Amino acid sequence: MLTRLVAELPEFFSYYNIVFLAKAALATFALSAVGSITGVLAGFALAVTRLTRSIWLAPLRWLTVLLTELFRRIPFLVTLMLVFFAFQLSGFDLPLFAVALIAVFLIASAYLAEIIRAGFESVHRNQWDAAAAMNFSMLETIRYVIVPQAWRIILPPAFGFFILFIKDTALASQIGVIELTYAGKVLNNKGFSAALVFGTLLVLYFLISYPLMRLGARLEASLAQPRHR
Amino acid sequence: MTMSYTLQYGQIWPYLPTLAAGALLSLQIAFLAFCGGLLIGTAGAAALTFGGSMIRRVVRAYVTFLTNTPQLVQIYFLYFALPDTGILLSSYAAVLIGMTLNAGAYLTDIQRAGFESVRASEMEAAQVLGFSRMQQIRFVVLPHVARVLFPPLSNQYILMTLGTSMAAIFGVEELTGRAFNINAQTFRSIEVFSVTAGFYVVITLAATTILGLIGRFAFRARMRLV
Repeated sequence: MLTRLVAELPEFFSYYNIVFLAKAALATFALSAVGSITGVLAGFALAVTRLTRSIWLAPLRWLTVLLTELFRRIPFLVTLMLVFFAFQLSGFDLPLFAVALIAVFLIASAYLAEIIRAGFESVHRNQWDAAAAMNFSMLETIRYVIVPQAWRIILPPAFGFFILFIKDTALASQIGVIELTYAGKVLNNKGFSAALVFGTLLVLYFLISYPLMRLGARLEASLAQPRHR
Repeated sequence: MTMSYTLQYGQIWPYLPTLAAGALLSLQIAFLAFCGGLLIGTAGAAALTFGGSMIRRVVRAYVTFLTNTPQLVQIYFLYFALPDTGILLSSYAAVLIGMTLNAGAYLTDIQRAGFESVRASEMEAAQVLGFSRMQQIRFVVLPHVARVLFPPLSNQYILMTLGTSMAAIFGVEELTGRAFNINAQTFRSIEVFSVTAGFYVVITLAATTILGLIGRFAFRARMRLV
C-alpha cells in the first residue's frame, strides 16, 4: 500500500492540484473568517438588545432569546440544508458560497451572542449603577464602562469559536461549495487513493487551525490579569 | 423570478414516527461515543497529570491533532482510507469510532483542567485529617472534580448530540439521515428539515434539563436547567 502511495505522490502534487487545494483552503478560511466577523457584529447587536429594559422592546428581546437558543440547538448541517433549500425555493440565485456563508453567519451570531452576553455579565453590577449615577445612557455605559472591561473575557472564547468554525465549514462541501473537503472529494473521485487525499486534507486543516490555536492560547495568557474584587 | 411555494406540512406528518426513531439512533450514537470518549479522556487526563514525559508527549500529540482537524474529514479517512489497509468498517462503525476518538481528545482537555483544579492544600488538609489514599480520592478529589467537570462535560454532550448529524453523510439513518431520505421521497425540503430541526431542539433541551437536574442535585454544580 505504501509503495502505491509513494508512486502516486508526484502526480498528486502536480501544479494544478496544488493550486486547486490552495484555492480551496482559502475558501475554507474566508468562509469561517467572514462568517465569524459578521457573526461578532450580529452577536454584539443581539447581546445589547437583551440588555434593554424598555417595555416596547420586549418582543424584540424575546426574538433574540429565541434565535440564540434555537440556532445553538440545531446541527450546522441541518441549518445549512434549511438555508440552502430556502434560497432555492425563493428563486434568488445566490452563489453556493454565499449560501454557506449565511448559514455560518446565523450559527456564529447565535454562539457569539451568548459569549458576549457572558462577557457583559462578568462586569460587576455596581459598575452599571455607578454609570447610571453619572447619567450615562445605556449605550454610553456599554461603550465606556462595560466593553473596556468585558473584552478580555470575550476575546478568548470568541477566538475559540472562530477556530471551531474552520472545522465546521467542512460540512459546506455537502451543498457543493468548493472548499477544502469538497476539493478532497473531487481529487478522490479522480482516482487518487483516499489515504493520500484525506491524509493531506487533515494536514492542511491542521496547518490552518494549529497556528490560530496557539495564537488564541497566547492571547488568553496575555489577557488574563489578576482581577481584584 | 420569484416562485410561489406553499408550505405543506401535511405530507410530513406520516413520517414523524420514522424521524422519532431516527432521533433515538442519534441519541444512541451520541451516548456511546460520549461514554467511549469519557474513558479515553479519563485515561488521557490521568496520563497528562501523572504520566512520564514520553506518554505525555504522545497524548498531547493525539489531542492537538484531533482537536485541530474536522471530525468529518477524520471519519472520511476512517471510512475511505482504512479499506486500503484491509480494515473495512461499516458506515455506522466508522462514524462511531471517529466520533469516539474525536470526543476522547476534547474530553482529555476538559478533564485535565478538572484534575488540575484540585488544590494541593486540599489534599494536605485531607492528609492531616488522617484520610487514607482511597478516602482522599473518594471524599476530596471526586466530589471536587465532579462539581467542576459536570457543566463542561454536559455542554460537550450537547455539542456531540448535534455533531451526530454528520453520520447522515455516510448513510447512517439517524435523524438527519432520515430527513435526507424523506426529502428525496417527498421533495418537501423546508418542511422536512424544519421538523428535523425541531426534533434536535427537543432532544437537546431534554438533555440539558436532565443533565442540569443531575448536576444540581447530585454534584451541587451551578447549572442552568433550560
